[in-house]
Amino acid sequence: MARSKATDPPADLLGPVQGEVSWFCCGTAWGPCSSTGKGACGTCNSGSLQHAWPNTSDACWSITRPDRCGVSLSRRTCGYRHRVTALCSGASVVTAIADCGPQTDLFCGERSCCGATCADNRLIDLTPAAYSQIASLSSGLRPVEISSA
Amino acid sequence: MRSRRDVLRSAVLGGGAGVVAATAMGSLGPEAAFAAQKTAQKVEPGAPDPDFAEGRIRSIKDNTLLVLGSNLVFHTIRVVDGTSLWKLGPVPFDAARPGDGLYARGVRMPDGMLAAESVWLNIVNIRGHIKNIAGQTLRLDHNGHEVLCHVVPGKSVAIHSESPPTADLSMLKVSQHVQILGAWRPDTNEVDIATVFSPH
Repeated sequence: MARSKATDPPADLLGPVQGEVSWFCCGTAWGPCSSTGKGACGTCNSGSLQHAWPNTSDACWSITRPDRCGVSLSRRTCGYRHRVTALCSGASVVTAIADCGPQTDLFCGERSCCGATCADNRLIDLTPAAYSQIASLSSGLRPVEISSA
Repeated sequence: MRSRRDVLRSAVLGGGAGVVAATAMGSLGPEAAFAAQKTAQKVEPGAPDPDFAEGRIRSIKDNTLLVLGSNLVFHTIRVVDGTSLWKLGPVPFDAARPGDGLYARGVRMPDGMLAAESVWLNIVNIRGHIKNIAGQTLRLDHNGHEVLCHVVPGKSVAIHSESPPTADLSMLKVSQHVQILGAWRPDTNEVDIATVFSPH
């Protein structure tokens, strides 16, 4: 497991940051998602263009801990907009924060690639509606670039 | 040059000729299309995407799925020749069953119907700790709920970080945190595994 010192200042303040993206369900839902709820902001829905961010509050940061993977990220609160661009296809989507996540430290050092293009560590999760704008839901995990929108 | 979405729209509005044109463009599978979809975003960030639907299939008639959304909104979803369908892998339209959960992306037509580019049947993407591994099953603690995950020979693979997918799932360990992408067995706590993502 890769553990290293967090970047200072936050990596996303200096410009776009690269990392992994996956998708998560929230809001009213079927199957194992039915117990998920509306997320930390109380607004999360699988069908909306939203995302989860690892640093929405002190409580959120204490769970996600991307710093344990050597990544520091800015505090951004509910409704803040990020642009996520798939490194595989170049497709992008702009979404608003609706939840806290992903739990970056549980996947520290993980890398996903498309061809020779790779990115490390889970830095953002998209709703199914948002993820399916840039990749197939069946891909599950993709390398992306994240920037403020 | 016509966009893939224009072709999909004409496949529904124009009937057969559009469908043939769509097929001639190659697969309408989602991955191939994303590179071409670099147009300006029409939907406000944070808002519901009208070109996306989720819910469970109530009935199937001809090439149309009647879906009840989890928010109790009905969706009529039209499947055309080029629509890609997924249920633990690519499947034909007749794999769809009443009771299946789904996510669908396509083009919303003026009458409210969704012309589908992609339909993912019963797809789930869950994270949790492995509680137990026995034979071809794996018990996952997902947010305090147990999910029984089945290894499906010939379908299930594991991806350990950037390594290529492998059908050998023997490296998975109890207490390890993983992400499981799979197909839910409707009205159960069971999932057939497509991919297990493991950080190491």
